[in-house]
Amino acid sequence: MKRSGHSFWSNVAAVAYKEATVLRHDKALLAAVFIQPMIMLLLFGTALSNTPANVPWAVLDESRGATSRRFVADIQATGYFLAPRAVPSYDAGHALLKNGGALAFLVIPQSFRRDVERGRPQVQLLLDGSDPLSAARIGAYIGQVGSAFNAIPSPSDHRPDDAVRSAGLIDVRQRFWFNPTLRDRDFFLSALAGMLLTNLCLSAMSLGLVAERELGTFEQMLALPTTPTEIVLGKLVPYVAVSYLVMLFAILGAGLGFGIWPQGSWLALLVVTLPFVLGSLGIGVFVSALAHTSAQAVFISVFFILPSFVLSGVLFPYQFMPPGVREIGAIFPLRWYQIALRRIVERGAGLTEIAIPMLALVIFVSVVLAAVRWRLKPRLG
Amino acid sequence: MSWRRLRTLMRREVLATFRDPFTLTILVAVPLAALLVFGFVLSTEVKHLALGVLDAADTSASRRLVADLAAKGTFDPRPYATREALQRALVSGDVGAAIVIPPDFDRRLGDPRSANQPPQVQVIYDGGEAVLAGNAEGFLRSLVATSVADLKKEQPSPAAPQNRGGVEVVTRAVFNSRLDGKPFMVSGTFGFVLSFLTVLITAVSIVNEKLTGTFEQLQVTPATSMEILLGKILPFGGVFALDVVLMVLVAGVVLHVWPAGSMLFFVVVSAFYVLVSLALGLIISATSETAAEAVQKTVLLSIPLVQLSGFAFPIRNMPLLVRWLTEVFPATHYIRVSRGIYLRGEGPIALLPELMLLVLFGVVLMAYALRSIEARR
Repeated sequence: MKRSGHSFWSNVAAVAYKEATVLRHDKALLAAVFIQPMIMLLLFGTALSNTPANVPWAVLDESRGATSRRFVADIQATGYFLAPRAVPSYDAGHALLKNGGALAFLVIPQSFRRDVERGRPQVQLLLDGSDPLSAARIGAYIGQVGSAFNAIPSPSDHRPDDAVRSAGLIDVRQRFWFNPTLRDRDFFLSALAGMLLTNLCLSAMSLGLVAERELGTFEQMLALPTTPTEIVLGKLVPYVAVSYLVMLFAILGAGLGFGIWPQGSWLALLVVTLPFVLGSLGIGVFVSALAHTSAQAVFISVFFILPSFVLSGVLFPYQFMPPGVREIGAIFPLRWYQIALRRIVERGAGLTEIAIPMLALVIFVSVVLAAVRWRLKPRLG
Repeated sequence: MSWRRLRTLMRREVLATFRDPFTLTILVAVPLAALLVFGFVLSTEVKHLALGVLDAADTSASRRLVADLAAKGTFDPRPYATREALQRALVSGDVGAAIVIPPDFDRRLGDPRSANQPPQVQVIYDGGEAVLAGNAEGFLRSLVATSVADLKKEQPSPAAPQNRGGVEVVTRAVFNSRLDGKPFMVSGTFGFVLSFLTVLITAVSIVNEKLTGTFEQLQVTPATSMEILLGKILPFGGVFALDVVLMVLVAGVVLHVWPAGSMLFFVVVSAFYVLVSLALGLIISATSETAAEAVQKTVLLSIPLVQLSGFAFPIRNMPLLVRWLTEVFPATHYIRVSRGIYLRGEGPIALLPELMLLVLFGVVLMAYALRSIEARR
């Protein structure tokens, strides 16, 4: 190439200026930039949670003693449950489970009182397994109440707290770091930027490019003395800027609205966002090269956004996924970005702790950019 | 309304749909991909979770405890020598949980008075991964308790401590005894795919017709608005009904998830729900000027669709106000019906209230769609 570097950058700047002007007048994009983050922030901050609440449950108390009532009251006191519904028979309880009227059904046998004296009290708990996540949690809560339950409150116990704790054979002291109350809110909001950026970069970039092709302005640009590289770079610049705005919005929103400020380094946050945004935008460019109409661009983007949300671990922990599925999730840049985000925001990580996700993202960007170059060539030749 | 005109319109729609290979691919590929992706993703089983171990006791008993934790493949123990190293591993996310065994573990274990002073271990979870920590907690506790009980039995301690308290809770899950996540997600995926894809496809199809001008042409033909509406949604309804059957079969054959209730009932209800959802798509497209606008509206709509319909998060866990809001979405009710049939094998009588609500949604949305088409003429 004989042209000077000066002309290269001024061309990039010119394309970027043009693109920024287009973006400013794009109402649909503005909606995506402002409304969507607001909705997501509010939903994840206030409404969505995997922690069971308001759980309807039924109790069949055949022993009808003070101890069994105390046991039921202890379960109630965990705060996850609605008031228990007393049922007259086993079948009635089973029917409630079947029609969804109860998620858990506790059966306290007639011999409960006697078993308590013998030291082997046992109760039966039936769970509606159709919602496995809730069922597993509810089972664990009630099981914990059971193991901590002090069946015979002896008068010699001066300190009831100690008695409860040492009731078992072993004393397990538990601590939850970084998020002591295990709030789902912290889990979701710390990765909110990842979800928003995936949506924004992919759909906005691909739609923008396809719309230009539909309108014929892309051909006009090719007729100008700009090289394809300059066009692509110039187009990327404003989107990168918007992406950083959205990222800051997500971080500040979580901080101001819900008190979830990044514990780690802001520098790491800014650094790791760049390869993720570039990679996502690169996919957007790639999608636009595959699609002929804006409708197709949307479908292809959805095809990518959906699995990356589901498999990356922003909504469901990837550690639970079966092998194979877990590895497929590693293909998506959102997986690595959310790992980095969670480390920085929740665990207070700095640049060194996020080296591996960072490396993965950089590799991803290189692959995508190479693919974009390869795919765009025939069209521009 | 003329049956002949309606038939012509429907034929036109079917031809237009089947001529476009891209739409066809989407109609087959998206439902199948969604089924497979969602089907595998939800699991409550903790498997091979990296567990940091700081074993300050380092005796045969403490090593037994660690080996027991690793035995079932639930945890992968990784030894750390110091507390600082363990802390670093938690911060960097190398381990999801950590267990600290104190130096006096053995002494306390063998102590006959240990009922008052049982051996102590400390467990630290990475609360940042809230869901993971919540589930791992139950597993770890029960594994530790079992292991220590075994150790205790083998201890030649003269006075075996009497179990002073505690109630053993024998838990059994009905309907899905292994707590497999697949049926739950599969039955919800129907709601997601049928809501999202229908709205998107109608919206895009109508806006494209507007762009090419064929929609204007349709409106100057003698066809009534009702005929245009039905001519649009009945063929799509038919296509999506086929989609439902395809999804049921793939879920059954590939994921081994079959509906517990009547399959015919499920397909009929789903086909009706598709019509409701298509009407919503018509409304969106009738009120949008460009394809991009219709698409943007659909995507914005898909946020509450995924997150507030009970598909990904139980509605029960939401605050009261939001719980009321979720009732406004037809998808919420369809997902309830779909889960009722798939998971609990419920029939029409048990589901009657939800079905009536769906019919009500259908009538209201159809009427509104009709009005918005009429308003354009």
